[in-house]
Amino acid sequence: MDAILAEVYSTVLPAAPYVIGAYVGIWIVLAVYTLMLSRRSKQTARDLDALKQALADREEKLER
Amino acid sequence: MDRDDSTRAAARPALWDRCVPFALVAGTLLVIAGVVWTFTLAPFAQGATLSEPAVIAGQQITTKLLLSQKIFYLHVPVAVASFAVMAFAAFWAVRFLMTGERRYDIKSKTAMEVTLVFVVATMISGDLWTRFEWGVWWTWEPRLTTYFILMLLVIGYFILRNAMEDPERRARFAAVFGIVAFVDAPISFMITRLVPSSVHPVVFRTDSGLPPMMLIPFLLGLFGMLLVAFALTRIALRVNTDAAEVEELKERLEEQDAWRERAAADEALERLRAAGAKLSGSRPADAPVPDATHTPEVVGSNPAGMSPSHDAADPSTSSSKEA
Repeated sequence: MDAILAEVYSTVLPAAPYVIGAYVGIWIVLAVYTLMLSRRSKQTARDLDALKQALADREEKLER
Repeated sequence: MDRDDSTRAAARPALWDRCVPFALVAGTLLVIAGVVWTFTLAPFAQGATLSEPAVIAGQQITTKLLLSQKIFYLHVPVAVASFAVMAFAAFWAVRFLMTGERRYDIKSKTAMEVTLVFVVATMISGDLWTRFEWGVWWTWEPRLTTYFILMLLVIGYFILRNAMEDPERRARFAAVFGIVAFVDAPISFMITRLVPSSVHPVVFRTDSGLPPMMLIPFLLGLFGMLLVAFALTRIALRVNTDAAEVEELKERLEEQDAWRERAAADEALERLRAAGAKLSGSRPADAPVPDATHTPEVVGSNPAGMSPSHDAADPSTSSSKEA
């Protein structure tokens, strides 16, 4: 490569891992949080159904 | 009129929730469009001056080309989103202190959670830029320092919440802490303008001189990230509201358990007393009378109307009966 061109692009290639890291890092953080929300949502839905059922059963027994 | 207001208030969250899928998709697409534009059409920023000019694709180049500057197209929108979501957290904290309604506490906590996510993303991307451009992983520069304090305050908010058992106290303390923590957000935003020695680039200014080919991907990323932040907040809010409902149901079940245990204990005690009374009735006249004050008492309080033996447990009442 031409010496001048090499100088023009001298900071491009060394910066690439940092740029890629920054973009990927942001998306990873957002993806991890979305995943956590999804898992929490599923867990909560399961708990909610079980609790509602248990509560209804107990209230029915108490009314008797 | 009141009924209309409450109906409207109830319909509002449903309306926001209906916007969530659209906001998430539109936000993601805008960000992707911004990223594609950034790496294809947006020109490189100019770095240090070359030893001699070069001509590339018919254009005279006098400086080195900076790839690292492309981090800012997503780093700044993420940072702005963190400030925006934190503003909502503070707003809902104020609403909680004004009304005392639990839903505002949940909203404020959720917004803080999303704020932390965006703060961490900002820190990661910013730190990578700092490492390449300044050659260090960290420096106590005003913007970095104030933003670091902001992150510590947000983490502190959750430590404070977890340290408190009483929900009322926890919500009140967290609301006050959240409002105080938010004070750092405008300081962090404005610090590069307030402190002249700050070396952090100032992006939001009227004379930024960003050419349209650089400004457009930045704005795409900004609006996209704000939409993503909005969608994430609403989704997290729904999840956290459900989680709070689960906690409430658990408490109700525990209350029911305690109530049943107390009722059973009262019943057993009543049976014992009845048997004791029968025994003392059939006892000879010279036999010693058991001391009424030694009557075992039920641990815990009886619910109203659930303790037919309450009078018998009172020493004064039982002695008057004996008299």
